[in-house]
Amino acid sequence: MKTLQRVLAIVGGAFLIGTVQAVVFGPVTLEPANLTEGTGEVKGNPIRISEVPKEETAQDHDPLPGKPTELSKNGLTVAYTGTNTDPLLDAPVPEGSLTLRQAKELWDKSAYFIDARHEHEFEAGHIQYAAFLESKLFDTDIARANAVMDSIPVDGTIVLYCVGGECDASKNTAALLEQYGYSDLRIMGAGYEHWVAAGFETATGSDGGTP
Amino acid sequence: MSDSKPGAKLWAESILLQLPLRVGLGGVFTFAAYTKIGSTQSFANAIKGFRIVDADKYGHLIVVAAYTMPWIEMIAGVLLVLGLWSRASAVAIQIMLIAFIAALIHVILDESISADCSCFGDMNLVCESTVGWCQVIRNSILLVPCSYLVWRQGGLLALDRVFRDKSVGNEPEWTVDRE
Repeated sequence: MKTLQRVLAIVGGAFLIGTVQAVVFGPVTLEPANLTEGTGEVKGNPIRISEVPKEETAQDHDPLPGKPTELSKNGLTVAYTGTNTDPLLDAPVPEGSLTLRQAKELWDKSAYFIDARHEHEFEAGHIQYAAFLESKLFDTDIARANAVMDSIPVDGTIVLYCVGGECDASKNTAALLEQYGYSDLRIMGAGYEHWVAAGFETATGSDGGTP
Repeated sequence: MSDSKPGAKLWAESILLQLPLRVGLGGVFTFAAYTKIGSTQSFANAIKGFRIVDADKYGHLIVVAAYTMPWIEMIAGVLLVLGLWSRASAVAIQIMLIAFIAALIHVILDESISADCSCFGDMNLVCESTVGWCQVIRNSILLVPCSYLVWRQGGLLALDRVFRDKSVGNEPEWTVDRE
């Protein structure tokens, strides 16, 4: 009986201290960010707009046979309906997020890309010009998060991605960016692996990722 | 009065088993708590990622858990290291380990979920950050010393022995904790 009382005392004490912590340091938020859908009205990186040559666009991309099997990861299924659709570029994505084709279109328009995966995954390979900004950085290394945010205007078009499917990492980072005033936040529903499978531009290394 | 003194066997058990297990297990949980207490937002996101409850409907439960669980780990871990309320601390840790294992298995069996453990905040101890069987095995291994401490308590070198309830009486002095 005494053990039960003591266990409850430990839990109660933890609850009280946690409450004080929440009051002193402010509560956490689980509210999802208000996301922008589609590819309209892009405010991209002016440096990239002037630098990036015309490269292969999503429209130029040929359908890739055999990819539907890969896309069955993370619960996604591929519905190839035929006319003017590509099983990879137009694969179904979670509601409110961008297909691979839309994401590539935004990339071509020099939108800011943010990689919300783990740092080792970012270093192994990321979308070209993407910046690394995992949501944990806001807790563990705010200076680094600020450095990334300093390079992106608050009204810039930001496309966030992670491993695709139902991964939460990009949504978590988007929710935090919204708190810092960013308003044009879009989620790439397809993951990095799909970007690679499509043969689009990538980069490697620990480059902080000037967008 | 010869039976009022702890025997050599009890001293050996306390020094060779109970003390290192208390310090080790308590230290692991104290460290795990330390990595999470300063990263509550990340920990809340990690709990949400496990999809045990619907974050839209029961987000407040996730927030409460994100603030409370690290402090349970901290308090139970420190108490276990000190040997104070040893059995209760070990029980609290045991309950958490069982809950963690159940949550991990839930994520592993649901292939649509890709979640991070965040067991040690931003650090990876033994296992990768992505939830997998490694974490289940690690936590199952931690259950062994934990269960031993629930059974045998803190030992002769625990503070329980100093602060034991003397009012009960009629028991040998080396009795560590009366439950």
